Amino acid sequence: MTSDITPGSHRADPTGPQDDLVAQIAAALPTWLPTQRWFGGKDREITAVRPLAATELPMGPSAGHDVLLLHLVVEVEQGDRREPYQLLIGHRDDQVPDVPATASIPLADGPAVYEASGDADLTCHLLDLLAEGASVDALAFTTEPGAELETGLRGHPISTEQSNTSIVFGGQYILKLFRRLTPGTNKDLVLHRALREVGSDHIADPLGSISGELDGEPVTFGMLQRFMPDAADGWVMATTSVRDFMADPSGLPPGELGGDFSGEAYRLGKAVADVHADLAEALGTREAGRDELAETVDAMLERLERVVGEVPELAEHTDPLVAAFRAVADVPAPVTAQSVHGDLHLGQVLRTLQGWLLLDFEGEPAASVVERASLRSPLRDVAGMLRSFDYAAQQLLVGQPDDDAQAARAAAWAEHNRAAFCDGYAKASGRDPRDQDVLLRAFELDKAVYEVAYEHANRPDWLLVPLASIRRLTTEGS
Amino acid sequence: MSDDQPDLDTAPDAALEGLDDTPHTGEAVEADGTFVEPQADDFAHAEQAPSDPEWFKRAVFYEVLVRAFADSDGDGTGDLRGLADKLDYLEWLGVDCLWLPPFYASPLRDGGYDISDFRAVLPEFGTVDDFVHLLEQAHSRGIRVITDLVLNHTSDAHPWFQASRQDPDGPYGDFYVWSDDDSAYSDARIIFVDTESSNWTYDPVRGQFFWHRFFSHQPDLNFENPAVREAMLDVLRFWLDLGIDGFRLDAVPYLFEEEGTNCENLPRTHEYLREVRATIDREFPGRVLLAEANQWPADVVEYFGDPAVGGDECHMAFHFPLMPRIFMAVRRESRFPISEILAQTPPIPDGTQWGIFLRNHDELTLEMVTDDERDYMYREYAKDPRMKANIGIRRRLAPLLENDRNQLELFTAMLLSLPGSPVLYYGDEIGMGDNIWLGDRDAVRTPMQWSPDRNAGFSRSDPGRVYLPPIMDATYGYEAINVEAQQGSAASLLNWTRQMIAVRKEHPAFAEGEFIDLGGSNPSILAYERRMVGPDGELDVVLCVNNLSRFPQPVELNLAEHEGRTPVELTGRVRFPRVGELPYLLTLPGHGFYWFELTETEDDGERRSMA
Repeated sequence: MTSDITPGSHRADPTGPQDDLVAQIAAALPTWLPTQRWFGGKDREITAVRPLAATELPMGPSAGHDVLLLHLVVEVEQGDRREPYQLLIGHRDDQVPDVPATASIPLADGPAVYEASGDADLTCHLLDLLAEGASVDALAFTTEPGAELETGLRGHPISTEQSNTSIVFGGQYILKLFRRLTPGTNKDLVLHRALREVGSDHIADPLGSISGELDGEPVTFGMLQRFMPDAADGWVMATTSVRDFMADPSGLPPGELGGDFSGEAYRLGKAVADVHADLAEALGTREAGRDELAETVDAMLERLERVVGEVPELAEHTDPLVAAFRAVADVPAPVTAQSVHGDLHLGQVLRTLQGWLLLDFEGEPAASVVERASLRSPLRDVAGMLRSFDYAAQQLLVGQPDDDAQAARAAAWAEHNRAAFCDGYAKASGRDPRDQDVLLRAFELDKAVYEVAYEHANRPDWLLVPLASIRRLTTEGS
Repeated sequence: MSDDQPDLDTAPDAALEGLDDTPHTGEAVEADGTFVEPQADDFAHAEQAPSDPEWFKRAVFYEVLVRAFADSDGDGTGDLRGLADKLDYLEWLGVDCLWLPPFYASPLRDGGYDISDFRAVLPEFGTVDDFVHLLEQAHSRGIRVITDLVLNHTSDAHPWFQASRQDPDGPYGDFYVWSDDDSAYSDARIIFVDTESSNWTYDPVRGQFFWHRFFSHQPDLNFENPAVREAMLDVLRFWLDLGIDGFRLDAVPYLFEEEGTNCENLPRTHEYLREVRATIDREFPGRVLLAEANQWPADVVEYFGDPAVGGDECHMAFHFPLMPRIFMAVRRESRFPISEILAQTPPIPDGTQWGIFLRNHDELTLEMVTDDERDYMYREYAKDPRMKANIGIRRRLAPLLENDRNQLELFTAMLLSLPGSPVLYYGDEIGMGDNIWLGDRDAVRTPMQWSPDRNAGFSRSDPGRVYLPPIMDATYGYEAINVEAQQGSAASLLNWTRQMIAVRKEHPAFAEGEFIDLGGSNPSILAYERRMVGPDGELDVVLCVNNLSRFPQPVELNLAEHEGRTPVELTGRVRFPRVGELPYLLTLPGHGFYWFELTETEDDGERRSMA
């Protein structure tokens, strides 16, 4: 795609060519981008930012001429790495927008502009454009078949997200803007559409999307879904139970106490199994043979080797980890592979009044596009969720002095709820994931090794969580 | 006894006890065998309470056992005159309507639900005249009175049944469901599985089986027989003529039987209820029918009747599944058990209302929870096996909540603000305890604790004569927990409850407003709005925020719709920060709650600070 910068056709009286403005913004981004939570390249210096496309979005007759909403795609260069990012740029001539100071992008010599996803007066137009099914230059705003949208709702970004930005409109819709763009229709959108096709009860219905082109390939800029105002996420639900359990003085096991989560964990297990069945129905399955198992072993061993090099605390577990990974080569082949969630944990599931929903089917942020798109064992998702139960159980121990009794209670909570989750999964799918223990354990350990690297780099206090799990997983049953 | 009853042992009224001196069914008989039944005009009639056709939608109900409340004659058993003497207290508390479980003549083999004469009062409670006195006194204070009426069956001591078994061809021969064998209606479940093995019992006198959905000493009336349908309408008329304000219709789903069905909720049952309702509307407007149908809300709504006409069966029905879920939600520290059941509750016709309760004279009802949940409730609330009965838990509110004042207040606040007319259970307003060593369901039926005096101020009798011993343990005993002490203490649970009832009455939205669950990302917070447009066209919005967790919690509520309004806390009238466009942040202490009204700001001088 060229640097094709044309003002939106709806704008009657453009204030002037935007090329200059876009160039100034691009020049300011190398220092501004690293301050944004969603920016994924904080590990390296930005060597250049180049605008790829800028589209001025029409805002209807009600908006004044002194307001600008610009959709901007830039390429961020960090040495040999080049990645496209999406930005919404806002500008107002005579008003101070109600956005945080960090949204402001200081230009060397130009008007006051800011990242506009937090400006409800501007983002409301995104919803209007979706409802109209508008095309603006190369940007296509489309609704999913059968979706009817209410317009005129004001949008507010939710604060908890890491790698993308989501805007909630009037408590009814949520628009997820993908920040780092990948060519091809976004996996999140593809899987949501597939699941909606087969009538899955466990997703928030996709309602629309914003798409365009990047390097001659289609690209998804955003996805609109039904928002669930009555929902609470799985992490909060689970840690509520942990909090209750850890504070209880009676010493009773987790199943005997008021805050028991196992009923929810069981239903969550069923929901995950149902989604796997739906994905298999919609997108098919594939048999992975011995070669692929060998590749999987190699990939896990490679990751282990790398992480042991970075994190000395992991070294003592190397032998049992290697053994656990190698054992995968000997499991009976073939193994069934299919589309999976790819990054499943308690923060990716929502408890609604109708039951559990799964969110964010993009896959692991760190994985490559090819990795994310490839068919994988559904046990990967099970392993991810089992790891999440360990995290939920142990989060109260982080930063506290060692306390064996509390650690044992945390482990009891995790074991109780991991078992309930597997029971639910087995009930719905007819296959108990624990029967494939070699594979499941290897996937869990592989995930834990990844966590070791992540915690070592980002949250050293939390390192004890994956390390304790690795210790437990490699010693139990031996 | 009249002369035309030659054999006293087989006289149809021989099984009635203690009614020798009062008018009763069966003491006189017409030539054709029909009983001369007492008529309303034999008694005085009470003045009605001020007219208000929809009073039940806003009323605070108070369930009181006549036996347990106050003893006027010193015989150790509470009675109707004793209850009448305590009306000042109930008026002070803010009670709008008394619900009295059955006080009819009865052999008391099922707590008075085994009625042996619909037109006589159980002698130990007093007389029909005493009941009219109670009505008169209550109505003069603006308090209404409803009572239980069992339509489905009678006691086997009822003269109707005695006549039916002795004379199959007489006027009562077809009043019950008789059969030569026990094979009919085999798809109907047995309700009291602990005591009954069949819904049929053989009667050696008549030589046939009779049908009973409940105990074998409670034969079901035969509603196929038009004479039964009319006789039961006449029973209603009898009490309505005296001035009663309505009935809680016991066991309504079971009136009719039909082969090949489970004999519950049959269309003909609804048809009869419509007939009853039409009779009330025509002859006694403003009186109410409350259905006792322990079913899922989606099924119970059938008992309200046709929504197109605002409901043409019962005015009210109990919402049974809500109550156990309130307990479960607090133990789980999760709003979902409550939010889910309310989301599953269908809308009800305009002219109807739910009745909701935390406790009543029966055990904590667990029929309406799943097996999973039932096990859970047992584990959580019945640590002593004695506390379990049939399929429920027989505890009072305070011991269920381990006498935790914060939880007592939270539960009561939810009772007074969730959709439906609240029903308080006598004694729970002072946090009375229970006595799990008493048999059956008596654990929660001990004497009302009025004062630290002898017999808790309930009776002047010798303590040995009191029908059940008052609670005497150190925590809940009447020396510690009683009305007198709590009325004198500004911080008491009693005064707190009274204040909350008063606050509730200031805002009709609590009673009749739409219920809107606000959800939110913190699962331990149950937040909801009640809102209605009042007769003056003003929008009344009440915001209720409940912390179901024992730990302090923050919550961000989406109140964008009310941007610019100011939340005013209802007990202290403290103004909270104005609602803006962004989520509204509140923090609550463990088991804390807030009630706010959302007002348009009145202070013109108040300005939003500019950034």
